[in-house]
Amino acid sequence: MPRTQAALRGHSAHLFKTALICSALLAGAAASFGQAKGDDINWRQFEGASIVWAYDIHPYADAVAAQLPDFEKLTGIKVTPELYPDDAYWNKLTIQLSTKSPSWDIVGMGIQPAWDLAPGQLLEPLDRYLNDPKLTSASYDYKDFFPALRDALTWEINGGQIEAGRGQVWAIPHGFENIQLFYRKDILDKHGIKVPTTPPEMSAACEKLKSADPAITPLGVRGVRFWSSIHTAAISIAKSYGVHDFVVKDGKLETGLDSPESLAFHKDYVQMIKKCAAPSFANDNWYQVVDGINSGRTAMAIDSNMFGFWNDVAGKPASGKIAFAPPLRAPNGKNFESNIWIWSLAMNAASQKKGAAWLFIQWATSKQVELNGAVAGKLVNSPRASTWSDKVWLDYAAKPEFTNFVDTFKSVQDRAALAFTPRVGFAEAMNAWAVAMQKMVNGADVKATLTGLASEIRSSM
Amino acid sequence: MDLRGTDATVTLQSSAGQLASSKDEQVQNAEKHGLDWWSLAAIAPAIIILLGFLFLFFYGIFQSLTDLKFGRPLVRFIGFTNYEVAIKSQDFWNSVRATMAYACSAVLAEALSGLALAKLFASGVFLARLMRPVILLPLVLPPMSVALMWTTMMDPQNGILNYLLSLIGIGRLAWISDASTAMLSLVLIDIWTYTPFFALIIFAGLQGIDHEVREAARVNGAKGWATFLHIELPLIAPYILIAAVFRLIESLNQFDIIFGTTQGGPGDSTAVLSVRAYITAFQNLAFGRGAALMVVNWLIVLLGTLAMVKLWRLVRQRVS
Repeated sequence: MPRTQAALRGHSAHLFKTALICSALLAGAAASFGQAKGDDINWRQFEGASIVWAYDIHPYADAVAAQLPDFEKLTGIKVTPELYPDDAYWNKLTIQLSTKSPSWDIVGMGIQPAWDLAPGQLLEPLDRYLNDPKLTSASYDYKDFFPALRDALTWEINGGQIEAGRGQVWAIPHGFENIQLFYRKDILDKHGIKVPTTPPEMSAACEKLKSADPAITPLGVRGVRFWSSIHTAAISIAKSYGVHDFVVKDGKLETGLDSPESLAFHKDYVQMIKKCAAPSFANDNWYQVVDGINSGRTAMAIDSNMFGFWNDVAGKPASGKIAFAPPLRAPNGKNFESNIWIWSLAMNAASQKKGAAWLFIQWATSKQVELNGAVAGKLVNSPRASTWSDKVWLDYAAKPEFTNFVDTFKSVQDRAALAFTPRVGFAEAMNAWAVAMQKMVNGADVKATLTGLASEIRSSM
Repeated sequence: MDLRGTDATVTLQSSAGQLASSKDEQVQNAEKHGLDWWSLAAIAPAIIILLGFLFLFFYGIFQSLTDLKFGRPLVRFIGFTNYEVAIKSQDFWNSVRATMAYACSAVLAEALSGLALAKLFASGVFLARLMRPVILLPLVLPPMSVALMWTTMMDPQNGILNYLLSLIGIGRLAWISDASTAMLSLVLIDIWTYTPFFALIIFAGLQGIDHEVREAARVNGAKGWATFLHIELPLIAPYILIAAVFRLIESLNQFDIIFGTTQGGPGDSTAVLSVRAYITAFQNLAFGRGAALMVVNWLIVLLGTLAMVKLWRLVRQRVS
């Protein structure tokens, strides 16, 4: 009988929680619809159009996709989402845009790929849409996006190279990530391991963990030979050692990857990977990192913070077991550093339905859609300041199962910034860095490999 | 003289006949050499498609002679610079070595294991007959699915291969995750996928050998191994070589299995030319340099194929 009562209580609590989330979503949807109705632009000006929105298979996409019926009802525009796995998406995106195919109207974009795509006139600049009162509602409030994110997606192209901070807007952010160390509290507590703060501390913790439980992978990090494995752990930690991907020397851009700071970083980092990472490091992408931390096969991970959050959501096997900390810093460094990645929506320059595409971008990055996505537990790093001051979101994110997510987010966000130098040719240089990292982890001499890497980058500049 | 007259008469008669027939021939030739518009119309689509292919091919070669790259507003003709840069880099030669090592070892191992399988099928053993259709299954799988399947199986920590090895007391192997074992692992995947192709063709060759030939060898006292080595093997050699030609072309161009498993890594240990060309063009966005690598890959395939076809012709002549 008590068991039945407990079960009923649990069931009622679950029903109550579901009802609360549903009513918040419904209220949000109703508010957005109502707000749109009272808006100063005609949301139905492209009624009957059909557009394609391409994106990575990602909870951020799920958050928008779940609200698509609202958009279709509001505008009369039909949206077809085309979602692909991460690697396949980026490769397909390059092919679609470079062949000037109009089949994708809106694409999911990251800032770094945009540096390589925009100068080829493959992305549509969005200023004229943002500044057109017939196309953009006054309530859209572009300045509500965090300034760092707006600045990062604004640049001009001068002589085929990027000049950041001013110029045209190339994409609108709809989610971002900062890099953190997240860990399984249950595992570290069980083995009495303190959360490491530097690579040497991490190496020592890994040795202790391995000797206590050889089946556990101490640290999950990406290692694939693609720039995505550099932009998370490697670049964040490297920056705290004083490493810069590029520096200006005698008025000219020059790689900083063969500097003494870079040598010191790589020695520590390679050592740490050898002691801590899975033997499958060279093939590990974010899927493996997330799977490891979720299943408890991995004790710690350095990657985008929301991977920890999503697995803390109530009902997940790891709910309440994942806690957050800043990324590792140099042993003699004063501060940690955290790179950011901005998921944003951009418009294909070859799209033949640009007006409808803009309405979609505007709606998908609106205050209400961002808030709805956040409260649904998916769009957790909203790029809008208004979301972060909204009580509904803050109450949700402060639930005990999310451990110290909000506090860590706030402390890391203070130091989170784009760690790469904006430039055309980003992919080529960073892919080369990822390959060099694999070579060093496989035993190649660190100094010689970095010299080779720097010379390869110089020859491609 | 008589003979000569007879000859003359015969000659005259035949000359008249020739005159008549040469007129017919001229008419026939005129008809033959006249434009047959219907025939031309019939083959026009094939010619257009051929020209289309040739255009694309030559366009690819043209691209390899330019500095075509994303973000570069102007595309310049730079001659053979892309080739010069490639040839001077160590990575390029590493890719050439990786391409040759992958293709040669895979084709050789597949030919040997295909031969063994075909011989087993030809033996008519019950189990071999049962396995014949099953063994062909890898051939019908898409290479990318094969790559994903093997990536999972070769996972050093959770893969089934290491589990099976642990049952017989063999320690964990890193498979595709270690530079020293990655190439061997890829060749293993290729062998698993394409050995049935060899087996199928060699089996057809074995079935084609006249039973009397084997019988004659047996009557002359040849044992099983000697019959295989001196009678069967020379007779099926052209079959083995023709299968090798097709497989060599595919292996030198192999992309799906390699990109789907290692993406050319760890480091550059499995960065064959096709993978390097793809990464250069579509990840590094340097299309000109990527095209140059593809042209080099094409040249290697062409030379390899010509050599194999020549060998096949020699063997076939010897057999016939």
